[in-house]
Amino acid sequence: MTQRSIQMDEKIISRVDLLNICQDVIEKGNTLLTPGVADYSVVKDVSNLNLDASALPSKISYKSYVFPRTEPVLYYKRSKNDVQLIDVNIDSKKIVILGAKPCDANSLNIMKHLFNWDYSDEFFNMRAKNFIVIGLMCSHFDEYCFCTSVGSSPVSEKGSDIFLIPLDENNYAMKIITDKGKEFITPYSGYLKSGDENRSKRITENVKQPDVAFDSSEVYKWLGENFESPKWEGVGNLCLSCAQCAFVCPVCHCFDITDEDYSYTEGRRMKNWDGCQFGNFTLHASGHNPRDIQSKRYRQRVNHKFRYYVNKFGEILCTGCGRCSRGCPVSVDIKEIVSNCKNDQKELR
Amino acid sequence: MPHTAEIKEIIDESPDTRTFRLRFRDADTADRFEFKAGQFAEYSAFGDGESTFCIASSPTQKDYIECSFKVYGKVTQSLRRLNKGDTIGIRGPYGNWFPLEEFKGKNLLFIAGGIGIAPVRCVINNVLDLRDEFKDITIIYGARSVSDLIYKQEIKEWKARRDIKTVITVDPGGETASWDGEVGFVPAVLEKNAPESENTVVILCGPPVMIKFTMPVLTGLGFKDEFVYTTLENRMKCGLGKCGRCNIGNVYVCKDGPVFTYAEIKKLPQEFNNFKFQIANYKLQIAFLKG
Ligand code: SF4
Ligand code: SF4
Ligand code: FES
Repeated sequence: MTQRSIQMDEKIISRVDLLNICQDVIEKGNTLLTPGVADYSVVKDVSNLNLDASALPSKISYKSYVFPRTEPVLYYKRSKNDVQLIDVNIDSKKIVILGAKPCDANSLNIMKHLFNWDYSDEFFNMRAKNFIVIGLMCSHFDEYCFCTSVGSSPVSEKGSDIFLIPLDENNYAMKIITDKGKEFITPYSGYLKSGDENRSKRITENVKQPDVAFDSSEVYKWLGENFESPKWEGVGNLCLSCAQCAFVCPVCHCFDITDEDYSYTEGRRMKNWDGCQFGNFTLHASGHNPRDIQSKRYRQRVNHKFRYYVNKFGEILCTGCGRCSRGCPVSVDIKEIVSNCKNDQKELR
Repeated sequence: MPHTAEIKEIIDESPDTRTFRLRFRDADTADRFEFKAGQFAEYSAFGDGESTFCIASSPTQKDYIECSFKVYGKVTQSLRRLNKGDTIGIRGPYGNWFPLEEFKGKNLLFIAGGIGIAPVRCVINNVLDLRDEFKDITIIYGARSVSDLIYKQEIKEWKARRDIKTVITVDPGGETASWDGEVGFVPAVLEKNAPESENTVVILCGPPVMIKFTMPVLTGLGFKDEFVYTTLENRMKCGLGKCGRCNIGNVYVCKDGPVFTYAEIKKLPQEFNNFKFQIANYKLQIAFLKG
């Protein structure tokens, strides 16, 4: 993935022309995704496509298009004594994501460290390479959002190849951020008019942003000193170990590997999403479980996101989208938890 | 993508532990496959999945590799059902290894408990093949009972050698009438049989609870944490630093381990040593045996 920023003037594109580009993307046989209520879904017909900057983030990010919930990694065929192994073809169509929330747009950049340190995961890389992320400024925000606490914002261009800012009902300012974005848009230059940076700036400057809820470097420090803090018990007692939070998270990446027979002789090996909140995630065959109670598992979640990942890859493993908290059946709110960790008066819950 | 390998030999080590002697189906792979003592692999029983064990044979053994496993769960049960001539999958080798180069010219003290003997055996055989490069060698190996001891044939050979000291022990109550080894828990047996700590490297593998009780004894005898090497056997899946399973703090056991010195382990978040239950159990056992 090339993420080198390039200098290019700001452009203006009308809504109609943007849809024309989308139409062309689809006609060329590529996949176009836009955020919906539940998920980012494939667009078949652009005529009723509605780009809404004020929409709530979909329940799930587009992580599943690069790191599917479940996918085969190999097929096997057993004969009498032997086993034959068959490679999978990684499907890697070009995917254009139109209207990615800024908090989602940066997710692949954060995850790519993990999928490329030491061993490069070809499944991830093949797909990520074929992603074109067209980000859209975000004017939604609710009590769960905290992108501004983790180094992002509703107007952040981080991770987008192209970034859109709605100027009025019918026009968008378009910023071309990466080489990949430039390459994508060049064939459509005829649709672009030259823009005015000051005009889009006036808009981005006036976007309501979530207040900064915590200082992530202080959280980092607190976590380093409070592994054994009794505070973990509070959230441990509340949390159900359902791992909903990991599944909706745009950057959680843990997986399980299992075999699945579909006949007496044939089957496939699957890679499936998993999460550290499940009780059996670290259960050893011997019955020993290093994270035997929920408070330890929640501690792992927060530590991994705000400390271990930072140590290892220099970035927080969190985009601030708030999905985990919005969806949690028992209202565990990670923003509240990390904001409260330093406050002796408050329990972690 | 795993390699496929043929089960050449099955050795029943104890009622629940079995060793496979394996040869890669592909001759090229067999020639190229190299590993170092302490590394592990992912073994698959196709249809039931993969399981992680160390490579138990010595890297100096070029004709085959061996793994020993205790039957615990779905995959190991499935592996146990396989017969001679059947095929299993192997991915690896993964992880780091015991720095044998650094051990040269030193005394070695091997301490193993239960299935922890498997990685230790790999090092022992590797070292014995290069015997001259190391000074005194002491092996202390403990199992619950006489029938739980594995590698019985090799133990006999080790015992017969005059250039190593071999002490085998079983937990109290696990001895048989004809048992001629020690009776007692590893830490106690260690106290009686430990060599000088000066210039000695310790290789310590076993269940967490054994390590927990052995460490104070070693420290008391003057062994330094930096010279005590052990393996962390966290649950693993991918072996590639991706799936997150084996993660402790900043460390991925499958990449940065499994071999760590005790000094390194002490710096990790203390997640692995939550033994409250096991310790209570262990103490009860001891109290019971003391009457
Ligand atoms: S924090 Fe909430 S969503 Fe996450 S595992 Fe616990 S109960 Fe489930
Ligand atoms: S928070 Fe948990 S589920 Fe998410 S990536 Fe980290 S260890 Fe995996
Ligand atoms: S076993 Fe998958 S990350 Fe270590």
